[in-house]
Amino acid sequence: MTEATATDPAVPLLAVDNLRVSFRTARGTVRAVDGVSFRLGHREILGIVGESGSGKSVSLMAMMGLINDPNAVIEGSIKFQGRELIGLGAREMRRLRGGRIAMIFQDPMTALTPVYTVGRQIVEQLRLHTDLSTGAARNRAVELLEAVGIPGPKDVIDRYPHQLSGGMRQRVVIAMALSCNPALMLADEPTTALDVTVQAAILDLVRKLRKDFGSSVILVTHNMGVVAEIADKVAVMYAGRIVEHADTPTMFRTPWHPYTWGLLDSIPPISGARPRRLSSIQGAPPSLQRLPPGCSFAPRCQYRSRRCAVKPPMIGEPDHRVACVLEPGERREIVRKPAQQNDEIPS
Amino acid sequence: MNMLTGATGRVLLEARSVSKRFNVGSRIVPALRKTVHAVDGVSLQVVRGETLGIVGESGCGKSTLGRCLVRLHEVSEGEIIFEGRDITRLSRRALRPIRRKIQMVFQDPAASLNPRHRVRDVVAEPLIIHEFGTHSEIDARVVELLRVVGLSADHLERFPHEFSGGQRQRIGIARAIALEPDLVIADEPVSALDVSVQAQVVNLFQDLQERLGLTYIFIAHDLSVIRQVANRVAVMYLGSVVETGLTEAVFDHPAHPYTQALISAVPVPDPDRAHRGRRILLKGDVPNPAAPPSGCRFHPRCSYAQATCRDVRPALTRIGPHREVACHFPLV
Repeated sequence: MTEATATDPAVPLLAVDNLRVSFRTARGTVRAVDGVSFRLGHREILGIVGESGSGKSVSLMAMMGLINDPNAVIEGSIKFQGRELIGLGAREMRRLRGGRIAMIFQDPMTALTPVYTVGRQIVEQLRLHTDLSTGAARNRAVELLEAVGIPGPKDVIDRYPHQLSGGMRQRVVIAMALSCNPALMLADEPTTALDVTVQAAILDLVRKLRKDFGSSVILVTHNMGVVAEIADKVAVMYAGRIVEHADTPTMFRTPWHPYTWGLLDSIPPISGARPRRLSSIQGAPPSLQRLPPGCSFAPRCQYRSRRCAVKPPMIGEPDHRVACVLEPGERREIVRKPAQQNDEIPS
Repeated sequence: MNMLTGATGRVLLEARSVSKRFNVGSRIVPALRKTVHAVDGVSLQVVRGETLGIVGESGCGKSTLGRCLVRLHEVSEGEIIFEGRDITRLSRRALRPIRRKIQMVFQDPAASLNPRHRVRDVVAEPLIIHEFGTHSEIDARVVELLRVVGLSADHLERFPHEFSGGQRQRIGIARAIALEPDLVIADEPVSALDVSVQAQVVNLFQDLQERLGLTYIFIAHDLSVIRQVANRVAVMYLGSVVETGLTEAVFDHPAHPYTQALISAVPVPDPDRAHRGRRILLKGDVPNPAAPPSGCRFHPRCSYAQATCRDVRPALTRIGPHREVACHFPLV
């Protein structure tokens, strides 16, 4: 289970090892996250890509200590700045959350209460985690709103969330997340609910924040384009596991996993020749209650063979790892041939 | 996809200066009453056999326009001409034979399928309403339809919740094509689906068009999806069409600054070509449609705006064989 960047001499900001999250339900145990391991360095942006049910959001929630379902079982290790987060007391976790670790959600209204002005909400956060006076905290809130590109921050600070547009709300949430200079920012689909022009602005903002504030970011998304634009490294998740992990240029230039091939091929191009048909992955993501034994992607994979009956381990090179049994020679052979048009067979 | 274009084919549906206003704000205090022009003087044509893509950001009026065209909303002004006939003010009864020729596919198949009906009933409903035939004829037709959209007779007795999102959208499509319509208006039909499933459904739309000779109006905010499916596109901003043209021309050489910004904002899944901050960023947000800016509605966010743009609203003007743009200073 030693992961890619274990060669890094310094202690990584975040080290996740064999993280497992399962939920006991009336219909048996559902394993939402099944042995996820990775390292996150300082000032690094990691993109986690996956479809619904891939376990990407649950992994984030576990890192944030936000899974408090009594039927949830969390195993493995999440070390933040060398400190184990799994099993940390609620009180200490709360001190970290919003302070050293901040989170941005898909829907900004999840993080904002409709009944207080945005200024009051930022000030509350600052007062909780720092020893600023109310007046100083308010000044700091104005600075933060300005830093995230809100025009007229002195005016906006006294507005209620419903008086702001979706893009502005997401900026307020980011300002709030930044308020205590977090070392780590976790962002769960932060631009999915936004229009594409606003999304572009928010991505630029995240990049700028890494530069100005030096935070590391984990960005969870289903959008390969977003990841290509912003991440240094990419982890592709499928059915609770990381199936491929590499730095961004490598992932997009020489992807190794058939699922990653499928994901990249199913995106209609925005320039160049229009394909007559999109190549698509057959079927749908599996239900976590009925995962196939062995490789979870095998039932949808056009390159499956008898070898796939056993759960594939993570193999490869230190900076490019994959959970697939295809040999490098076989992969090259497949990639050289044009993608086969699979006629759709819905699951 | 065939290459029918705006000028050569027969016009199936035409919108003439269609507007839709909604009254918002207080019903009691007249001073707080406001009118929102959700759709503001839109004229467009759809030619038989083509796919017209309507693209724009949230609140641009694209869905409202789609609903006006099938008369799910009554238009406030303008006319809708279907097969040469004005259907804008037809009574419900007179509209009925036309309804079977125009069908709609919605974004959220979970919300548009009755959860208490089995797939058999969902797909058979339009056939029963429009008196397609005997029970056994309808049964046979339902099975055939399911096969056409990539499902099977095994699915007949199941309920919508037993299906994945992609399969539910296939059920919605089966229902829409049950009566062999001429025109299908699809409002964000793939945006709620996972990426890998989205491609399957996009392909299904294209296959059905070839097999059944359908005409589509495909409404979406996702520019890559629109580029894939549409022969022609209409770009909407704040209730109006700001640019139309053949898909390739519009995407390769946008004429309206808004179209250009919109295309440049799409994240590219290729780090070698990713914008990484080199895109055209628009100033501010989409303005409140209840208080639109003067002149060109886009001028406060436009980096090319000049004095004229503040005062004079540009009309949609023909600038090429299949090309129209509403801009004083078009880019091509």
